[in-house]
Amino acid sequence: MNPERAISTSWRSAGQGLRESLSLVVGYAPIAFSFGVIAVQSGLTPWQAVGISLLVFAGASQFVMVAMMAAGSSGLVVLSAVLMMNLRHLFYGPALATRLVALPRRLAPWLAFGLTDEVFATAMSKGTSRPLEPAWCLGLAAGAYLAWVGGTALGAGVGAGWASDGGYVAQALDFVLPALFLALLAQAWRRARWPVVVAAAGATLLGMVWWPGHVAMLVGMLAGALVGSRRSRTQCSQEATT
Amino acid sequence: MTWWSIVIAAGAGTFLIRYLPLLFGTHLARGEGRLSRFLGALGLAAIAALIVLSMSDLWWQAPHWRGGVRLALGAAAVLLVQRLTPNVGLATLVGAGVYGAAGWALAD
Repeated sequence: MNPERAISTSWRSAGQGLRESLSLVVGYAPIAFSFGVIAVQSGLTPWQAVGISLLVFAGASQFVMVAMMAAGSSGLVVLSAVLMMNLRHLFYGPALATRLVALPRRLAPWLAFGLTDEVFATAMSKGTSRPLEPAWCLGLAAGAYLAWVGGTALGAGVGAGWASDGGYVAQALDFVLPALFLALLAQAWRRARWPVVVAAAGATLLGMVWWPGHVAMLVGMLAGALVGSRRSRTQCSQEATT
Repeated sequence: MTWWSIVIAAGAGTFLIRYLPLLFGTHLARGEGRLSRFLGALGLAAIAALIVLSMSDLWWQAPHWRGGVRLALGAAAVLLVQRLTPNVGLATLVGAGVYGAAGWALAD
């Protein structure tokens, strides 16, 4: 492929990824809005709230960060908590690489920056049916990032005068992320993979009895992946036809 | 540590947690060994774990049979729409709409 054609194909893939980020945008925007509101109500300026979303881009740990800062925790304690919460992302990069057609080194930092739980889940779900173009992943992550930063800015901008009324629309928005994950599971579902799903869900549920959610999730992920790694090659090839 | 230095360090640390394994762990993903199968199953396992985590958060907001029915109706709507139209965005929105509407219908 000549260089001009390759660039044009990359831009097309990025545009497609951006379009397919719509479901993520719908899921992210209300949560980012809530983050903006909570950050301002915790005493941050709107710029500080947006700054966190711009620089950290890691949903749940941002809420924890703001809460700990508001409670007067020391910088090192806050930093440790954020990094501990995000340790599960250690596994995302190599897993995503199994689904990419190639990993150009110049794109790797951008791909890594956008590798949140939701971007990873969406990419891996799509990656079960076809190999992924890195540019497509970048488009997907760009849509999610814009929604996250934009939602934070909106929430922080109008946050001082806004409070959730707990109405049915707000409650419906609460279900957006679980709905997104369910739809992604349905998209990625192959009958032969049910042991992975059952192991991950069961271990997470059980883990939540003893540990906080982010630790239970890490344990569940590893349990599901371990079960997946024990399958034989024959089972893996059967999977493609079920 | 100043406020901004905490935010910058948190951003840099999170980035490195995502970047370094992508850069240096990619060769682990190649081939057909057990590690490759482990990484291949990780995506589906993460989705399943995220479903449990997000659903249980919602359940504990109102641990009552009505909450259980709402969750079940919302989940059923997502799966039905995803089955009929392979459109993740539409399935997500319909599921959220059904969950919200069920809250209204089941209210005291």
